[in-house]
Amino acid sequence: MEPDTQNIPTLRHILDEFDQCADLSHRRFPELSADIVYFPHTVDNNLLIQEILLPFDRLQADGLDKLFLQSQFVETRESKAVVVGILEGCVAVFHGEAVYLLDAYGPEGRSVQQSETETVIAGPHDAFVESAPTNLSLIRRRIKSSHLKIIRCEIGEISKTTVYILYIKDIANLKYVQDLQNRINRIETDAINDGGTLTQFIEDMPNSVFPQFLTTERPDVAVSKLAAGRIITIVDNSPTAISAPSSFFEFFSSPDDYYQRWALGTALRLLRFLALVITISFTAMYVSVTTFHYEMIPEALLRTLAESRNRVPFPPVYEALLMEIMIELLREAGARLPTKIGQTIGIVGGIVIGQAAVQAGLTSNVLIIAVASSAIASFVIPSYMMSASIRLIRFGIIILTGIWGNIGLVMGIALIVIHLSNLTSLGSSYLTPIAPMKTGDWKDVFIRAPFSKLSSRPSQSKTMNSIRQKNKK
Amino acid sequence: MPEKLRPFHIAVLMHMTQSGIVIFTLPRNLADYFGTNGWLFLVPCIVVSTFNIYLISLVFRLGQGRSVFEIMEQTIPRPVLYPFYGGLAAVWLVFGCMIGKKYVLIFQMLSFPTTNPMVFKLAVDILAFLMITKGIYSISKAATLFFWLSAWMYLLMLWFFPAFRWERLTPFILKGGHNQFKGAMEIYSAFLGYELSILLFPYVNKNKKAMAGVYAGNLYLAVLYISLAIICFGFFSLGQLKKLLYPLLDLLAYIQFPFIERLENLLYGLFLFPVLVTVVMYWWAAQESVRRMLPRIKLSVLSFLLIAISYSISFIPKTLDAVGVWITNLGYAVTGIAFGFPVLLLLLLLIQRKGGEVRA
Repeated sequence: MEPDTQNIPTLRHILDEFDQCADLSHRRFPELSADIVYFPHTVDNNLLIQEILLPFDRLQADGLDKLFLQSQFVETRESKAVVVGILEGCVAVFHGEAVYLLDAYGPEGRSVQQSETETVIAGPHDAFVESAPTNLSLIRRRIKSSHLKIIRCEIGEISKTTVYILYIKDIANLKYVQDLQNRINRIETDAINDGGTLTQFIEDMPNSVFPQFLTTERPDVAVSKLAAGRIITIVDNSPTAISAPSSFFEFFSSPDDYYQRWALGTALRLLRFLALVITISFTAMYVSVTTFHYEMIPEALLRTLAESRNRVPFPPVYEALLMEIMIELLREAGARLPTKIGQTIGIVGGIVIGQAAVQAGLTSNVLIIAVASSAIASFVIPSYMMSASIRLIRFGIIILTGIWGNIGLVMGIALIVIHLSNLTSLGSSYLTPIAPMKTGDWKDVFIRAPFSKLSSRPSQSKTMNSIRQKNKK
Repeated sequence: MPEKLRPFHIAVLMHMTQSGIVIFTLPRNLADYFGTNGWLFLVPCIVVSTFNIYLISLVFRLGQGRSVFEIMEQTIPRPVLYPFYGGLAAVWLVFGCMIGKKYVLIFQMLSFPTTNPMVFKLAVDILAFLMITKGIYSISKAATLFFWLSAWMYLLMLWFFPAFRWERLTPFILKGGHNQFKGAMEIYSAFLGYELSILLFPYVNKNKKAMAGVYAGNLYLAVLYISLAIICFGFFSLGQLKKLLYPLLDLLAYIQFPFIERLENLLYGLFLFPVLVTVVMYWWAAQESVRRMLPRIKLSVLSFLLIAISYSISFIPKTLDAVGVWITNLGYAVTGIAFGFPVLLLLLLLIQRKGGEVRA
């Protein structure tokens, strides 16, 4: 049988493959009968000099064979493997008939900086960056254990994005790991650019408005999730790590809760759940009361409210929607513009538009207070994904209360509850620890109990090793 | 392996199924039919309902946790059972439907006198449909969350302590009532709902704790009913209580905060949660019965058809009084099923045991 000539890696074949790729670098060493081919922007220059250029400079042609015996040079006999290797940051060395790959991956990247979406007051400030190796190093340096296992997958027909699944052996439930790996392997798409995109491919119910996997930019959060028996997924070229499985209530904790005294952490956590109630119900209650249930306002307050609303020509639901949309516009503009201008837009736009709207008789003062409180409360929720989802469903509830008053509000809440109860995260209930009821988890979900009381891992992890600490004081 | 319902969730599910719209009229019925200290009549109701649950737990134990349909079909040919299944489904379906309709009519009376109540009914039915299609485990999860969203309301009873007077209870026991058999049946219907636990057997772990959940749910409901009734008897006078249409609404209207008052409207809205669970559970029970006859039909299609039928039926009674009559009459049938069904199953199990045909 004749050998498959197409599959034999030759310099000509590789150069043909990368034809019209202007960023490819091809260097010839005639005195050594060697050629190297690589993408300069994907390799670490120091490594290239140290491992190839300097030895090549010192050696004679016959010395190269000894050099290639070193383990960093991997002899490759398949053309496709050479192409993939070059794309992944390897330097392909052609010497005679043989081809060797040297892994010199080290592109330029953003240095480790603070997270902009998950800031904390106390505690570590470093955040994930776009380089998966850097992100893995941020985790590895925090978990110095051989039990931290990492599975490598590749997704995207064009992007060939590398995805790493991280778990701690003997703590994480392997069924979850297997399930997650299967879901990732089943993805058939051209490119995945971010962790946020990946979650929407692997979630249990991708059409839901609620995120079913927690995403984080913080290595300390990722490590705490791993230690709790959850699984972390890191996507190359994305600063967002995915934690799974997750529960609805998990989105209301912040790493700050653990870095501060437990009493303060508990108070903050309760405040966030209050913020959830305010976000969902404040504007809606205003609409409900001023449209249908004026009897609910005590007499003294009624006068203030009536004065505030007497010049407004619209029904309260239009007035509320107008202001809510205005707030969302300001928020979106603030998020898209550079930080300094964004802040100005936010403050000036808020005050000017708010005050002018009241003076022009387009809206009432009381509504401005309701809308502002509701917006501020939504920003208290630490997860941006969850906060955005809740702000979106708030519009639905406002419309429902505009139609049916209090019963509309209750029906909206019922709809949310029914939807939440149908959701799962990696097959486990999204409403853990309420349903299924796990009172043992409450002390690390609804409050942040002292560390001596947080002796077991969350039940949702379904870990075989639930004891996390034995200190009683 | 599908997840099983835990005892706590069974307790919550049963409690939420039992509590519903009757709570609004219960104190008045107690005063009207049983007179002074009518709340004492709740005690025999608790005993009877507990005995009924005991019968159900006997079925669970003797049947070794098998589905009640399996128990029946083991001795009686399936086609013979079809009319019985149909009857069960019809009673449960329409009973659930009327509970929903009554809730909607009261809300319409309170806040939206000019709106067509069938629009609200449609919204409630859509919610019920969304809840029922995902199966009993999701219903139980939603019921648990609904329980926590509404359970805090019972703390509002503390608000009435300053206005409570023991002397209003009077030293007389059950004087001034009338038509007590009818009253007993109506009041007992406030406890109904636990009988649906007989259909939960395939969804629970086969141990003693499973049925403990049903007892716990019933007991919690009993404690709430008794405390609410005592508060009503000590807050209103007997004559007043007899005349009030919905004493609980008047109680709630009494609550005032500096920034909000007349909360009965909002709090009545929150009673949608237990009412919704009650409606859904009766419809789920009807669905389980129909599924036995039509096993191949898709679950969501069946739910849709049943809810569409029930929605059509709910057009028939137009007024609260008419709905009340339907509920009272269906209440007799549901009470009959609550006692008759487990007794029938026990007889079948005893026959099977004698014939040595009990399957594990």
